[in-house]
Order: sequence, then structure tokens, then C-alpha cells
Amino acid sequence: MAPLLEVQDLHVGFKIFDGLLKVLAGVELAIGEGERVGLVGETGCGKTTTVKSILRVLPIPPARLDGGEILYRGRDILKMKAREVRQLRRTELTAIFQDPLQALNPVFTVGTQLRDIVLDSLGAAGQRLTRKEIIARCVQALEETGMPDPERIMSNYPIQLSGGMRQRVCIAEALIKAARLLLADEPTTNLDVTIQDQILRKLDELVEEKGMSVLMITHSLGVVMDLTERVYIMYAGMIVEEGRTEELFARPLHPYTQGLMKSVPKLTGEGISKGIPGRIPNYLDPPRGCRFHPRCEHGLPVCQEERPPLFTVGEGRRVACFLYRGGGR
Amino acid sequence: MIKYIGVRLAQSIFVLFGLSLLIFFIARVVPGDPARVALGNLATEEQVQKLRAEMHLDKPFAVQYYYWLKSMLRGDLGKSLYTQRPVTTDLKQYIPATLELILFATLISLVFGQVTGVLAGYFRNSWFDNFSRLASYLGVATPSFVVAILLLFIFSQLLKLTPSVGRLPLMVKPPPTVTGFMVLDSLLAGRPDLALLALKHLILPAFSLAVIHIAQEGRITRSSLIENVQKDYIIAHEVHGIRPTKLVFKYLLKPSIIPTVTVMGLDFAFLMSNAFLVELVFFWPGFARYAVNAMLSKDLNAIVAVVLVIGVTFALVNLVVDIIITFLDPSIRIQRRGG
Amino acid sequence: MVGEQRIGLWAVLARKRRGLAKGWYKYSRNYLSVLGLVVLILIGLTAGLAPYIAPYPEHAGAYTNFREAGLPPSKAHLFGTDRVGRDVFSRVIFGYRFSLLLGVVVLSLAVPSGVILGLLGGYYNGTWIEVLIMRITDVFLAVPPLVLAMSIAAMLTPNLINAMIAISLSWWPWYCRLVYGVTASLRNQFFVREAELTGASKLHILFKEILPNCFGPIMTKVTLDMGIAILMGASLSFIGLGAQPPTPDLGTMLADGAKRLPSEWWSTIFPALAIVAVILAFNLVGDGLRDVFAVEEV
Repeated sequence: MAPLLEVQDLHVGFKIFDGLLKVLAGVELAIGEGERVGLVGETGCGKTTTVKSILRVLPIPPARLDGGEILYRGRDILKMKAREVRQLRRTELTAIFQDPLQALNPVFTVGTQLRDIVLDSLGAAGQRLTRKEIIARCVQALEETGMPDPERIMSNYPIQLSGGMRQRVCIAEALIKAARLLLADEPTTNLDVTIQDQILRKLDELVEEKGMSVLMITHSLGVVMDLTERVYIMYAGMIVEEGRTEELFARPLHPYTQGLMKSVPKLTGEGISKGIPGRIPNYLDPPRGCRFHPRCEHGLPVCQEERPPLFTVGEGRRVACFLYRGGGR
Repeated sequence: MIKYIGVRLAQSIFVLFGLSLLIFFIARVVPGDPARVALGNLATEEQVQKLRAEMHLDKPFAVQYYYWLKSMLRGDLGKSLYTQRPVTTDLKQYIPATLELILFATLISLVFGQVTGVLAGYFRNSWFDNFSRLASYLGVATPSFVVAILLLFIFSQLLKLTPSVGRLPLMVKPPPTVTGFMVLDSLLAGRPDLALLALKHLILPAFSLAVIHIAQEGRITRSSLIENVQKDYIIAHEVHGIRPTKLVFKYLLKPSIIPTVTVMGLDFAFLMSNAFLVELVFFWPGFARYAVNAMLSKDLNAIVAVVLVIGVTFALVNLVVDIIITFLDPSIRIQRRGG
Repeated sequence: MVGEQRIGLWAVLARKRRGLAKGWYKYSRNYLSVLGLVVLILIGLTAGLAPYIAPYPEHAGAYTNFREAGLPPSKAHLFGTDRVGRDVFSRVIFGYRFSLLLGVVVLSLAVPSGVILGLLGGYYNGTWIEVLIMRITDVFLAVPPLVLAMSIAAMLTPNLINAMIAISLSWWPWYCRLVYGVTASLRNQFFVREAELTGASKLHILFKEILPNCFGPIMTKVTLDMGIAILMGASLSFIGLGAQPPTPDLGTMLADGAKRLPSEWWSTIFPALAIVAVILAFNLVGDGLRDVFAVEEV
């Protein structure tokens, strides 16, 4: 089955005053139809940049595309014309962002924003609906997200809603179009802990219903374990490990992943987690070779020289580490 | 909301009373003899004395103010020593001309300023942006009357494109006065040709007034736009497929003009004061020119009336601008609706 | 003891110098601001050395020479001569002198009074002192400053000094409001409370604790205001309420020349450009200062 989305060897840089931030250094991803895939990494590792590249909303300049391809159903998004990209956004791709307060326009009502999405995305598909039908569509979308009293919400401004309700609006915005692939960038990180679970469950439900593929970006291992079938681990602009979620977390192979697992406090009470020593690299002058090697306790001489590619160590299981060159430890 | 407006109005009235007191105080404190100045050196001492009694100039300050206040509340602002007519008549004649000028200038500055600001901000660092930034530096640094003189020089005298004096050509009979707005009155009288002439006369003075505001407000819109273009919600709109024109002129514009509108109230004050000078350059028979003449001839009643009119207008404009902002910015609206 | 004091003084001076160096670095990043500063210095020097630089210093007063009247720009008269035969270039240079003088005087009067009233108003927030000061400020601000200045100048005899007084009276409220805003918001912050509790004198609190926080905005505003003060001065004399002939003032020169356009354009255009140049220079420097004092976003 050909993957829905394929990111191949993506290199993205940001030109700043002091030089070029080499943020993404060869990112590789694939998502199939109906698959739920996770992308895990700490803050600053380039997850959002990856998402923005896929959606082609990177601010260019100062961002620069330094290489790679993003294939959607076989066609390179990066090479598409603006009109084609817009069409793609209206019918295939959609996204949810991290901060619902920032992601909603503060001076327009929820209803206005939703209605315009319907207007513009359906208009593109050649459908014309009456005003009543459009409003009904919006109300229905809000209802599906579990929003109480959706008609009233339509005339509210984002600032009048609670964090959870705002995120529901964002979900409604994202799913009101007939999209096939959802890119969810840390959708619950900014919400109250008490609502996080609720929202995630609802999102999961909706995605399942519509048979959509999802790229769930998060730094929470718990979220990934619950909601995804496959997962990618990202570090400093590179994918360092890939595999089926359950298996990867049961048997983490990359030193970074192992460190991540160890950092999560366990209920069995092994004391306060140690965390991984060191910090994420300076993107202006990233380490040669493997970007993780300064923090890695298993460093081999080759790690300082060459960038490790993703070595296959099993079915659908890959690790970017020289420890696994040749397919096994 | 109504409560808010009510409070603001009350505050304004209070301030305006204070203003009248201030101006009145300054007017009466001045050395010299207003009655003498009014009648000139040839008048006899008796006549001057009579006028002095009429104007209550021999009474203490508080009494003078009381008399003035009483008549003011009845609608009588005294007689202009310069035109020898009731000041209210003068005002009625001259205010529409200035109002027309100011409104037209505001329109020009809104259209040119905001469109330029939006385009410059959206196409940041393009040639258009750099050019308008440079132009705006000059625009802000050039006083309105200097702009007026330069425009007059270039367009009226060198290029002979536009007229240079007054609201209509000298030989042309103006349309019957309905609103006092030359363009409107001409259209109402069924004379579009007159309206066109009136417009031609309006263009240069209005533009001279507008330039500094185009530069100032355009700049604010531009930087506001630049700031908002990077906001998450704009990216979200784009991702959700909103059409580009709608994105810019609806979803980007509205949040971006809020800082500009905030500034417009204050800018209007400068617009009004610059009108004083521009009307002189173009011999525009307006309220501001009347005011200048009143000031030069120490026509006290007129001066006080002028200051009050300007004060009232300013207060009203500020209130209107505030109300507009309340409608534009929901967070302020909620704050004011009742807390 | 003496030795310690001396080191302390050195440290303070060194810190100030480093602050200055850092400020200059930030300022010089924008070439326009540097350009503005250069122009400003040039204008300042020209104005200051006017009697020595001007080719015809005596033309700056009541001088007439109708044989040389209305001459276009030439090598002898860079900006030509005006209608009574005076060298426009010399008059412009002397005009700068008066303009800058006006700006300095106006701000020297308006800024301290406005700042002090603002400090008091903001500090005594909520008491009758604040109400009194701020209501008076509101009254002064009820009309545009130019209108107020014109009205005041109209009541007095028109001359340069009265124009300065009139403009100063219209301008102090803006500083009052500016400082009031900062003071009122800082008034209840910890460091002020602390100073109060430890028994610092009101004077100390106002001038040593609160005022330094206003320094940046005040400096920026003062620079920009120099341009505006000069503009207002020129406006007043343009109308006839400011400096009177034969004083060489950019505003009066404009008024004179404008009446005779398009003939003898040089007696109008050059003073006009001169005004624009000085205002532009102050604006650029003010913008640069704003960048220096702006809190940098990481």
C-alpha cells in the first residue's frame, strides 16, 4: 500500500542574523491511509517545523528549503504551485495547533470563522450551499466535538470560551472539511490536565469515524502509546528511531529513546528520574556526524564523523545509530 | 455600553467647562484694552467706555464669566469684533467649508494610508515597501503647510493642473446652500459639473492635510500587519483553505487596524490644527481661516468660541473613535458592556 | 576610606561608559538614525556658528538693498535673495538658530514642569492631588496643542518669546500624562513600597526610584518633540503670531515667499526644505533612540 504522505530527506534552515540555523537535517517520515502515527521529540527538535513544511506554511524567508521532497499521494508538495497547494489544503490536509487561543482569530466570532472555512473549501470543490445549510454544517461540526450548546458558541468570540472549548472549536475547524490527513501539533499541551484526556479521546473517536490518517506530534509518551500505531522519535532535526508503538517502547533501541524512557517517572518508585545529560545542539553549528553523539554514552568513533542513516533492524523497525549497523546490535 | 457613553459625555462636558474657563481666563488676563482694540484709535473715549460697559469689562472676572456662560447656554456667543456679526452666524457660515475639507482629507488618508500600509506590510521588504517607508519618513517630517505650499507650487503654478484659490473658481456662482458642502450641494442642485469643479478645488488642500496622516497611520498599520502576519491564527486560516484575498482583507486587516484607529482620535486633533495653516495657503473660506483672522485681530469673542468649537469637536471625535474600537475589538467590548 | 570611595566612583563611571557604548552600538545599527544624527550635528554647528559661517550676517536683520532684490541662486547668493535684497542662505542659517533656540527653550520649560506634575499625579494616585493635576491636564489637552498655542499667543503680543511661552504652555500636559502613566503603574510595585517602608524621603522615591524608569520614553519623546516644537514655532510665525520681521524665522520666510509664488521660488522653497531637513533629522534620531531604549525581545 503506497503511503499517503512521504517525507524524504527534508532539510530546512532558518537564516538569522548570526548565520544559518540548520534545523531539519534529513527528516524521513511516511504515513499510510488510515494510519495513526506519532512524532515524539522534545521542544525545539523541529517537530513544528516539519509540520509547517508539510503544510507549506513556512515563512520563506527567513526559512529555507535546502533539500528533500514531501510526497502526497506521490506528488511533491514542495514543487506544487500555490493554487494546487490551496486545493490540497481544502480537500486533503488539515491541522490542529498547539495553542488554541493563538490559533483563533480574536476579532471574529467562532461562527464567522467556521462559515468561511466551509464557504471556501466547499466552494473550491464546486459545491454551493445556502447560508442556512452552511450554518447547520458548522453547528454539526461543533456538536461532533462534544461542545455543549453549539448554536450559542457560534456567536461567541474566542476570548469568551474556556481553553477546552477553544480547542474543540479548532478541532471542528480542522474536521469540517473533508480532509484525509490530520497533522495534530501537540493539541492538548496547553490545556488543563483534567481536560486533556477528554479532548484526546474525542479527537481519536472522530478520526476513527472518518477514517483519517493522523500525524500526532507530542512530547508526551503517554499520548503516543494510547493513540498511535506507529511512532517516530525525533531529535535535533533528525528522525532517530521508527517502529510500531508498542514494540518501540517495550524495546527502545536508540540511546536517545532509551534516555527518554528512563526520564519518565515510574510508579514503581525508582526515585526521581535522571534525565539525559547535556542539551540539544546549537543549530548554528551542529555537531558533525550524529547530532546526538555529544550526549550519548555509547559513542563510537564513527559517530563523530558520519551521520547515521536509518538502519533497518526488523519489519518496519529502523534506528539511526551506528550501534545497529548491519541490522543487529 | 450606554452607561459608558454617558460617563464619557459627562466627563467631556466637565472638561469643556474647564476649557472655557481657561480660555476665558487667558483672554481677560491679557494686558491691553479689548474695547479700544476693537474700536480702533479713532474712537472717542466715550465710545470705548460704552463698549467696555457693554462687554462687562469693568466687572470682576467671575462676573464676566457668569455673563458669558449665561449667554453661551442660550446660544449666544457674542459679537465678533472683526466681522461685526454674531459669532454664531460666522460659525454657521464657515464651519461647513472646513468640515468638508477635513472629511475629505480623512477619506483620502484612510484610503491611501491604509491600503499602502496593508500592502507594504504584506509585501514586506519589497520595492513597494521600501519606497513607501522612505516616503513616510518625508511625509511625517513635512509640516502640512509646507506640503500645501509645495503642492501649490508644483501642481497649480508649475503644472497648471489644479486651481489654487478658494472652493470654486471666482467667476462661478455657487449652488444654493443646503448642506454647506460644495460638492454635495452641487450634486443636489443637479449640477455635476459644479461638483467636479468643487472637487478639483478640494483636492490639493485635502491632500496637503492628509499627507502626514497617510505617513503616520500607514506606518502603524504596516507594522501591525507585519506583527499579525506571523500569528498562529493567520497560519490556521491559511491551512484551512481561506481564499488569499479574504485572508488579507478580512482576517488580517481587521486585527491590524485596531492600533491605527486608536491613534486616529489624536490624529484628528492635529488634522484640525493643520487646517488652520492649510486654509491660509489656499485662501479657503473656512472656519480655521476665520479663527486665524480672529486671533490676529484679538477678537476675543470669536477666539473663545473657536476654541470651544474645536474642543467640542475633538471630544466628540474621540468618543466616536472609542465606540468604533469597541466594535472592532471584542475584548474591549466585553470589558465595557458591563464588566 | 578615601581609597574605597574613589574606586566606587570609577566603577560607576565605568558602568556608565559601558552603558553608553552599548547604547551607541544599538543606535548605530540603523544607518538612517546615524544619518539623522550627522545632519543634526551639522545643523547645530551651522546654527551655533551662524555669525561666522553666514556669508552675509548683516542680512539677518533689517537690511534692504533693492538693487540686489529677487536674485535667483548664484555663486554669490547660494539660495538667492529675497524681495528686499537679503541673502536667503544667511537668513536660513540664522533662522535655524532661532528655531533651535525655540525648541530648547520650549522643552526646557515644558519637560521639567510636565514631568514633575506627572510624578506627583501618579504618585498621589487616588488623592485630591492626582485629581486636581490630571483634570487640569485634561483641560489643557481638550484642544489640539497648536490651537491652544495659537490662542495663547494671540492674546499676547506676537513675538518670539511669547511664542515660546505659548508653545510651552501647550506642551507640558503631554509630558505630564506620559510620566503619570508610568508612575501610576509603578507606584505599587515592590521596589517603591520597599523604599517607602524603609523611610526614604518622597523626593528620593520620586527621583531616584521612579524617574529612572521613565528615562527612556522621555528621552525619545524629547528628541521627537524638538522637531514638533520647531514645527509649531514655524506654524505660529507663518500665521503671524510668532517671531516678527525682520527676525529671520523659517516660518515668516515661508509666509513671505508663499505670497509671491511662483516667482522667486527660491525664497520659499529653500526655507521649506530647511524646515523639513531639521524635523526629519530629529525624527530619525528619535527613532534611533527608541530602538536603543526598546526592550529587546529574545
